[in-house]
Amino acid sequence: MTKLQKSAWFNLAGITVLGIIGVAAILYMAKTNTRGVEYVLICIFVPVLVSPGLYIYCRKKSIESRFDERERVIHSRSLMVAAFGLTIFLACVCMLPFFVLGGQNVIKVYYLPLIFFSALFIAQFVHSAAILVMCALEDDDG
Amino acid sequence: MGSDRLSNKVRRLRFDNGELTQQQLADKVGVTRQTIIAIESGRYSPSLPLAFKLARAFGASIEDVFQFEDEQT
Repeated sequence: MTKLQKSAWFNLAGITVLGIIGVAAILYMAKTNTRGVEYVLICIFVPVLVSPGLYIYCRKKSIESRFDERERVIHSRSLMVAAFGLTIFLACVCMLPFFVLGGQNVIKVYYLPLIFFSALFIAQFVHSAAILVMCALEDDDG
Repeated sequence: MGSDRLSNKVRRLRFDNGELTQQQLADKVGVTRQTIIAIESGRYSPSLPLAFKLARAFGASIEDVFQFEDEQT
């Protein structure tokens, strides 16, 4: 297993756990309708807001130094797949309520952070899964 | 669209050069074994710098290792 595959498995596991925790937290807060949830939101959102910058910076350095050129190609292709998956997801999740509920209806506010977390989850999940699939397709006679 | 194709003799040259393993060749040119597998099977076309590294690893010219076939040839 290459470093790229290990990294993809690590991301897949990590983002799944974080995604489940994030969505569960939002659903719990929405259900109990508790005040003072700002503390919880800060705990969740600050790392989420800070991490992409750090992640991209560290990832860029590590991609250049640790992965070879074929892996970099797979990585950039998988980013395109992730962007496509994210677009499809956002289109579905934003347009479906419009068509199902109609333009004059309302949705609950917790739907917004739920979309945000789900979008992060989907992008990372598709990215990691695409890396693993592409590596598997190329390694099948290894 | 043309049917350009890049073929190579990496596998044969590995055996002609002291039966190098894929891992040994990969270490020599600084890539993973999976990349060598992908190049040998023609699923991945290496960059020019990597093609030169491979050729130098075999002590051959780049055209001894890689052959380019397009519609006109």
